[in-house]
Amino acid sequence: MNMAGTFLHRTLRLLAAAGIGLLLLPETALAQEQDCAVPTSFYETEPTLPKTTAAITSGKTMVIVVIGGASSLGQAAGSPDLAWPARFALALTSRFPAARVTVNNRAVARQTTQEMASRLDREVIALKPMLVIWETGTTDAVRGTDLDEFRQTIQAGIDRLRASETEMVFMDMQFSRHTHAVINFDRYESVLREVTDANDVPLFRRLDIMHHWAESGLFNLMTTDPARLHHVASRLYDCIGRAMADFVTRGISAGTDIPGKSSGSTK
Amino acid sequence: MGAVMSLGTGPATSERDFRLDFFRGIALFCIFIDHVDWNSILTQFTLRSLGFSDAAEVFILISGYTAGMVYGRAIEHRGLLRAVMRIYHRVWQLYVAHVFLFMQFMATVAYLVDDLNNSIYAEEFRAADFLKEPGVAVIKALTLQFQPNFMDILPLYIVLLAALPFVLVGFRLWQAGILATSFGLWGAVQLNKHIALAAYPGPDEVWFFNPFAWQALFFLGAWCGWRGLTGGVPWLTNRWLFRLAVVGALAAFLVRLSWTLHWLYDPFPALFGKALWPLLSKTNLSLWRFANVLMLAFLAARLISPQAQFLTSRAAWPFVLCGRHSLHIFCLGILLSTIGRLIINEFLGGVFLQCLIAVAGIAIMIGTAALMEWFKAEQSPSRPQVLQTSMTERGV
Repeated sequence: MNMAGTFLHRTLRLLAAAGIGLLLLPETALAQEQDCAVPTSFYETEPTLPKTTAAITSGKTMVIVVIGGASSLGQAAGSPDLAWPARFALALTSRFPAARVTVNNRAVARQTTQEMASRLDREVIALKPMLVIWETGTTDAVRGTDLDEFRQTIQAGIDRLRASETEMVFMDMQFSRHTHAVINFDRYESVLREVTDANDVPLFRRLDIMHHWAESGLFNLMTTDPARLHHVASRLYDCIGRAMADFVTRGISAGTDIPGKSSGSTK
Repeated sequence: MGAVMSLGTGPATSERDFRLDFFRGIALFCIFIDHVDWNSILTQFTLRSLGFSDAAEVFILISGYTAGMVYGRAIEHRGLLRAVMRIYHRVWQLYVAHVFLFMQFMATVAYLVDDLNNSIYAEEFRAADFLKEPGVAVIKALTLQFQPNFMDILPLYIVLLAALPFVLVGFRLWQAGILATSFGLWGAVQLNKHIALAAYPGPDEVWFFNPFAWQALFFLGAWCGWRGLTGGVPWLTNRWLFRLAVVGALAAFLVRLSWTLHWLYDPFPALFGKALWPLLSKTNLSLWRFANVLMLAFLAARLISPQAQFLTSRAAWPFVLCGRHSLHIFCLGILLSTIGRLIINEFLGGVFLQCLIAVAGIAIMIGTAALMEWFKAEQSPSRPQVLQTSMTERGV
């Protein structure tokens, strides 16, 4: 493309972005009030976390470690405080004020499951966590890790965490319309489901949950406007964090009288 | 598998075996549906729901059988040099098809890359080496080492077919030795998974379909096809073999059915799931998958006669048609599945859209195959009855 063409293209894009931004303002305000609750069908059949939930209700001090990739690091939102692990911690403490929870975010962008597993002992188990949330699968799918090796790595990771008597939750990939067109996530998703299912480890199905939100028009995940990008990402991570709080605290009986406890995902 | 059918009829196998085209057609449709969305409900009705193996095994086994029969016959009748030239001509066609699919993949990437780099997925997507160094990616695609997005079965097919002349000559010299070597190599891969071909970006990536394992299925098929020319394999009529296949295939089907029900309704137990899931490596064609596809093929060959009325009926026609033009329809299927995925993602499609795309895609595949059939007939006025032409006139 020549210079003039490039200039015209950019100007048009800028104008379009500004126009869309203006149009979206009232809608944004509305959308923020919308609830990103997740139907319980997305996780009611997953195993629960007895030790973690007991610690939350009894107010015992405990550590939760998140290990994962770029989407757990939360760079798209602009600050680590806006990443889902931070929002998850906030949701937990606001719902269970008695809980004494520290959430450590040990995510590193663009690591394969193998690379994350090699950090388990030093960076995760060393912190003596009660619960480990392991977000993975994306980089393996992007880079095309051998599926059998992917399966074995996850199995070895589960065995390692079980041996240190740590409870765990796995989290799968983000839903994205465009990356799915050029990267084959399905095979890795299947393996994640099989391994967690076979080991009775809960899987937080972020892929399906984000698909559900996109379907119900809650997010415009396809936005490419830099100004709106941070905003969409931080809202998304907040919703993921709150959904994860719901997920982790399943099994805390409704009868338990805890101040601040709510059944939905409202703050 | 067809070796079984020629048992009664002796060496007279010049008539076209419609079962090959029919089942290959089914495999092609299943590959298309599986590729649109591997985890959709529709895939519970493809060949993979029959047991541990799926459409890939069926496709490779039938392709091996057909190749052994067609090129084995070509060697007998037209000489080794001509037959070898035909095989490498076919290899060239497959290679061109592979490059075409790669172009289509890169076009999709180029179309989406701007949006991706400015999305909330940008950080994750940056792991894709083919974006950092597209030049290297192109070269690696040309050397068959870069196999993105289901571009993995053609490279397998290419290397297997390229090795076929040596194997066919080997069959004539010492068939037991060749078969033993082939199975020995497969067995070695089962014991040591480092026997593999490196893939891009590396250093730990390998070909999705390990050719050192999958060659056993392809060349076993080729051997059956080749033996079919000279009277088949006598011991395949053994009653106990048939009973074993029935019991084995039925057991695999029931176990697989329990998994399907488990995915649909979690409390339903997945029989032997914990024990079997790690043993079903597709990359290395695990014993379970290998045995299962052989049992299914054996049953199909025994239970369905090559002269079965059904195979020439109107209902079977679309399958036979697509199976006959398998290379083109396979490539078209890959193309259509990519488009189908784009559409499903764009409109966040549910089951209804998935069904619609499956129906539309299959209709396009059948329509294209019908057009090709018609065009072929137009081009060869000396052979108006294209259906009756022997397979030697066609590619594999």
